[in-house]
Amino acid sequence: MEAQAEMIVRCVDLRRRYGEGEAAVDALAGVTLDFPRGELTSIVGPSGSGKSTLMHVLAGLDRPTGGQVWVDGSEITALEDAELTRLRRDKLGFIFQFFNLVPVLSAEENVTLPLRIAGRDVDDGWLETLLDTVGIADRRTHRPAELSGGQQQRVAIARALISKPAVVFADEPTGNLDSTSSTHVLELLRRSVDELGHTVIMVTHDPRVAAYADRVVLLVDGGVSSDTSVASAEQVHELMQTA
Amino acid sequence: MLRLAIRNFGARKLRSVATAMAVFFGVAMVAGTLILSDSVNASFDELFGEVNAGIDVSIRPEVAVEGEFGSVPTTGFDASLLKQVRGVDGVEKAAGTINDPRISILDENGDRIGPPQGGPPHIAVSPLPEPFESLSYIEGSQPRTPDEFGIDSISADNEGYEIGDTVRITGPAGAKEYTLSGIAEFGSGASLGGASLAEFTLGEARRLTDKPGKFDAIDAAAADGVTPEQLAQRIAAALPSNVDVRTGTETAAEDAGDIKDGFAFLTTALLVFAAIAVFVGAFLIYNTFSITIAQRTREFAMLRTLGASARQLVAGVLAEAAMVGALASALGIAGGFGFVVAIKAIFSAVGFDLPTSGLGLDLTTVLIAIAVGIGATVLSALAPALRATRVAPLEALRESGGSTEAEVRRHGRRRTVIAAVLSVLGVAIIALTLFGSGGIGSALVQLGVGLVALFIGLAMLGGRAVPAIASALGWPIEKLRGIPGRLARENSQREPARTATTAAALMIGVALVVFVGVFSSSIKTSATETIDSQFAGDLAIVNTDGFSPIPAKIADEVAGIDGVQSVSPLSTVPAKLDDGGEEINLTGVEPDGLAAIANLDWTDGSDETLAELGSSGAIVEQGWADDNDVEVGDTVPLTGANGEQIEVEVRGAVDDQSGLVVGSLAIARTTLRDTFGVTDDFLDFVGFAPGADAAATRNAVDELLASRFPNAESRDQNELKADQEDAINQVVALIYVLLGLSVIVSVFGIVNTLSLTILERRREFGMLRAIGSSRRQVRRMVRYESVITALLGTIVGAVVGLVLAIAAVEALKDEGLVLSVPIALPIVVLIAAIVLGALAAIGPARRASRVNVIEALQYE
Repeated sequence: MEAQAEMIVRCVDLRRRYGEGEAAVDALAGVTLDFPRGELTSIVGPSGSGKSTLMHVLAGLDRPTGGQVWVDGSEITALEDAELTRLRRDKLGFIFQFFNLVPVLSAEENVTLPLRIAGRDVDDGWLETLLDTVGIADRRTHRPAELSGGQQQRVAIARALISKPAVVFADEPTGNLDSTSSTHVLELLRRSVDELGHTVIMVTHDPRVAAYADRVVLLVDGGVSSDTSVASAEQVHELMQTA
Repeated sequence: MLRLAIRNFGARKLRSVATAMAVFFGVAMVAGTLILSDSVNASFDELFGEVNAGIDVSIRPEVAVEGEFGSVPTTGFDASLLKQVRGVDGVEKAAGTINDPRISILDENGDRIGPPQGGPPHIAVSPLPEPFESLSYIEGSQPRTPDEFGIDSISADNEGYEIGDTVRITGPAGAKEYTLSGIAEFGSGASLGGASLAEFTLGEARRLTDKPGKFDAIDAAAADGVTPEQLAQRIAAALPSNVDVRTGTETAAEDAGDIKDGFAFLTTALLVFAAIAVFVGAFLIYNTFSITIAQRTREFAMLRTLGASARQLVAGVLAEAAMVGALASALGIAGGFGFVVAIKAIFSAVGFDLPTSGLGLDLTTVLIAIAVGIGATVLSALAPALRATRVAPLEALRESGGSTEAEVRRHGRRRTVIAAVLSVLGVAIIALTLFGSGGIGSALVQLGVGLVALFIGLAMLGGRAVPAIASALGWPIEKLRGIPGRLARENSQREPARTATTAAALMIGVALVVFVGVFSSSIKTSATETIDSQFAGDLAIVNTDGFSPIPAKIADEVAGIDGVQSVSPLSTVPAKLDDGGEEINLTGVEPDGLAAIANLDWTDGSDETLAELGSSGAIVEQGWADDNDVEVGDTVPLTGANGEQIEVEVRGAVDDQSGLVVGSLAIARTTLRDTFGVTDDFLDFVGFAPGADAAATRNAVDELLASRFPNAESRDQNELKADQEDAINQVVALIYVLLGLSVIVSVFGIVNTLSLTILERRREFGMLRAIGSSRRQVRRMVRYESVITALLGTIVGAVVGLVLAIAAVEALKDEGLVLSVPIALPIVVLIAAIVLGALAAIGPARRASRVNVIEALQYE
């Protein structure tokens, strides 16, 4: 139990099967992983490896067909939809490939959206810190359509962090960005872990992106193929090639 | 392209059906109305065919002026005419009969059997020899004594009559109890259209209807070798000119025609409401196709890159629209039968029984329904289809589907100009119709055109106004409901044109409801104010049905009651000015005593003028006189319903805008009786003696009426007002029900728009769910957006309806109309809007809340 307290996210023998009978596909075939607090983890793997499914199940967006998941000390595998919703609202942050900002709200309103959904007060100091950190303080009144892709993703990052979540899930956060914007966004995620003490789990297929992480988990055919601390993109690339 | 259109139609089954629903109601109303009118017409043709079977020539009193309500009961003609007819060469046989619709068959409570008010007539008839008789007894026998009567089998069935039963029947001579001697089938069992026939001996029929020595009709059969036409000519030549001589076939057509004409009004009214429903539906079709085409921009662009021509794209969209229209038509024709059932139910609830023998589907009805369904759909889809052609092939490569803001702005200015022009044009046409001069017939058409232009204009302008209004409406919701309210408020302004069109569909229904509500309330207020200011008596005696005449004897007998000081009867007859000129409702007044009971507002003359009326004097209503260029001192030639002509001199004028006493022209009641043969009164004003016990006196009056004239009742001032209000309320309720169908259509519009919109925002809903929105929050968000849209349409509609009503009341000020806005109406309408908005959102909100988060987020 002591170990669990330090592990912000934990899964044991996680399985996810789609379809039935002959046509059944095992997206996750028994994954056991621990994610300690304050780390940036990359989950990499070729398409179809189950990395997105893993993230969805860990975040309570999808239900496993076997195994268990703990988030911040409590098991979520058996939770009802309403409880999962509350979990996502209170403990998780999300960053998506397509930014997914609400077009009718301003940048600042998008950032505070999770708090307003939860009916919680906005901590103005934290909001200013975040807006400054992601660099959109001067564009807070702009609507998403008036922002560049990189700026939109930075708004999304601030939105993911506003509720001080236990863990942030990022799904291909740079998939839709040019390389300059990508670098900004990744550095931002890196800083959120190093300076703000957040925990980030990031799914990507790009070795260069994965290399920003403290730890790289390689998934192949629904199973963990390697789990290492790596330093460079080349090493990640190599890992993926050998898999 | 056709194949693609079919695929598109099929692939979006649910949406296709939902879209078809928009036109379905209109088509169902059109088809139902036509089915109903065909069936009713056929019933009446059959009925009068039976009545006149075996009759070669029919002779009746001439009806020179028919009046607003069709032929009036006449006084019949002298029985000696029968001898003259029999003397005509070629007459094989001739017989006279009484045929008088002024009786009421009563139940044990003294109420008229069948529909309580305004239903089909109860008719007193007397037996005819063969081949003229159309009643054949299936049980018992013809009445043989003055105390017996026979009845038609349908009424007997409805009332459960058996031979030997005692039944009270009242007529111009008063009420009497009769013993049922027999039950007769009519012709070969044809429907009487809800009417009841009571057969009496000739002598009793004459006594009951106050027609001693008279006949209402004489039937003749031709000798061998003489055609009905020849015989009619010969008889006409032998008889005085104030009788109508026609062949049996002509009479049947004429009789059926009179009733059919009356029914044609209902048909027209129903078609007007059907047109409103179709019009509202057209908005929704337009909106649905606009949205789906915007969503399919990429598909169109892709087709263009593959070499499809703009024309092919338009043809494809229109083919899809035609399929939706065909579906709507098919469903609508089936729904038409449902509409018939509903309308019949509504009408029987308010006292009318529409005879429909065997509902059938005419080919014409089918063709019209298809034309309306497909026509409305294709025409509404035309503009969106043309927009599809403007899609550049390059847009296939663009990131997101849908129209860009720049695009909207590009078309915005031209749109605004067209919308402004249409709105102004609509207002101008309406103003011209209301305040200009013109016939009432063309006025309705003009008004319709004006309203259509105004509504389309407003809907198009709506795009500009929506952000501001929706933002204002959403403000309280946002304050009260937090983030779902905030998002709903913003979302409702996201596609202003879309929201505007959706709301506009509701606006039309609401505008008409509010207009009818305010206008009818104004009529009620004016009517009750008239009674307050002009009726100085204590009671008015009227027919229990509120509009039929009452026996003239009542006035004499009531005058004899203790405590009654004065009775002043009024009678009316349809008449024409100048032979062939305008038709009026001529009033007969009893100069003595009228002044004591009615406060006449003299503009020329005084109560003294009444006393000097004599047989050649007349008074006019000032407003009517102004409209018809009649002045005091003029001599006016009049033709009465029976064809008699007289000249009267105008001696005075009164202001009586609502026509309580003098609607147009009034002369002495004796002249109406002696010259125009009017034997009944329209109402009696009764004034009590000073110091008389009002309650006791009224009791005595009521007792007299109940025992002698059960189809008349006394009403005091408040009851008269209530009667007026009830009568108007009934019509208004019917109109509300019919407008309700248009409102339902517009609710479908909101459902459709929301559903399509939710499809576009799947990703957004997925994200909101992912970051912790509960399903409930998502549902709320959609519901609030729906409510904002509904409120938008309702508030603008209410304002438009109010302004129209104010304008209409202002235009009719000369008729005595006073504006009155019922306070409850706007509140009820607003609450209804919120409820409708919430109801419309149920399905879409549920779908939005059940968006599969993962799929929604991966969807691109």
